[in-house]
Amino acid sequence: MNEIVLETEALTKYYGGTLAVDHMDLQIPRGCICGFVGRNGAGKTTAIKLMLGLLNPTAGSSRLLGCDSSALTPAIRQRIGYVTEGHRLFRWMSIGGLEKFQRSFFPKQWDDKFFVDMIEYFDLPKKKKIKHLSNGQRAQVSLALALAPNPELLIMDDPTLGLDAAIRRQFLEGMIELIMRQGRTVLFSSHILGDVERVSDRIVVIDKGVLRANCSLEQFQKAIKKAILSFADSVPGDVNIDGLLHCRRSEKQLELTLVGTDDEKISEWAKSAGAENYNIVKMNLEDQFIEFTAPANHRRLFQWEER
Amino acid sequence: MPLWIQILPGSDEPIYVQVAEQISKAIARGELASGDKLPAVRKLASELAINPNTVARAYSRLEQAGLVTTKTGSGTFVSDPKLRRSDASDINMLAERMDTLITRGLNLGLEAQDLIVLFEKRLAKFGNKSNKQKDEK
Repeated sequence: MNEIVLETEALTKYYGGTLAVDHMDLQIPRGCICGFVGRNGAGKTTAIKLMLGLLNPTAGSSRLLGCDSSALTPAIRQRIGYVTEGHRLFRWMSIGGLEKFQRSFFPKQWDDKFFVDMIEYFDLPKKKKIKHLSNGQRAQVSLALALAPNPELLIMDDPTLGLDAAIRRQFLEGMIELIMRQGRTVLFSSHILGDVERVSDRIVVIDKGVLRANCSLEQFQKAIKKAILSFADSVPGDVNIDGLLHCRRSEKQLELTLVGTDDEKISEWAKSAGAENYNIVKMNLEDQFIEFTAPANHRRLFQWEER
Repeated sequence: MPLWIQILPGSDEPIYVQVAEQISKAIARGELASGDKLPAVRKLASELAINPNTVARAYSRLEQAGLVTTKTGSGTFVSDPKLRRSDASDINMLAERMDTLITRGLNLGLEAQDLIVLFEKRLAKFGNKSNKQKDEK
């Protein structure tokens, strides 16, 4: 069951002197929808292009469906779908023209009816040229092109960027539809954590080119939490608790963001630090992501002075 | 009665908990009666645009709570209330939850009698179900 369909080993990419992807060791098992998240410039697009063999790594390697990314054969490529950031399609082609063009790469498994049904559902005229479509319509064409070959592994680079709620939902539905067929895997990058939470069962977090998390979404959501401790007199100077991400202090309160620290440990530490009482607060995925990728010394952007 | 489930991404409750809670509420209100079949996992996943594993997790949570039973091959069904296990620890947990509400009520300055009236009013919302169960007896 745990066959690995996407794997990178110490994958590294420099652009000149800038490190974009830093020794990334990633393994994605078959059958999941994996949300690939990271802040702007974290290296998601570069990592995806390296995986697909569209860029050469400075060091390290990656494999898709067991085949080295630098030597993907046509037979392997036919089993992989890729949606580019911004849905770049040939602007001078009509929808029907693109259909024929794309189908020629997937001669065995292209689903004609599926594509036509989708284009009809989206109410797009087949003769229309890509350059005359809106951003949303272009994204819809791109979704239909990605799903029609029934790819075994679908990789999408921020597919819902700038799309309205209805079209975003169509992408989510498309991923769910695909994953319910036997043995399909989806990796998609996104900044919309609500979308990731909805459809993913796995999350990969990258920050400044470094892989920070690769686990089930449930594990991630369980692992990151806040503890708020109140003290009678003053807060202790040293906070030496395992898994500490951030610590904010006020006069009589400590607000700790922790990763992978179980509630018992927090309780023990609170006692040993002399806290009057403490509270463990659940966080939503967006807050978890922000705190997880924030630099260690981060302060709030706005600090209003009380008058 | 059609099942209406709304997903709130960005909540601090994971989505599987949201799904399970809304189904157990529908059961408590009698909108889903014992013997009713829950939608198939895949069907609900595609209707709600959520991961099928999330739906499966929600169903197994309901099963652990004894609210539904899964029959291999035929689906997941709301279980008979008489067969539902409610052991002391479940009732204990319920009592603890009620404490939170009572605390809030008292902090708002309500008297014990006000709280009882309020409780009865809310309970009436589940009226169909509790009456039905009385009739059966």
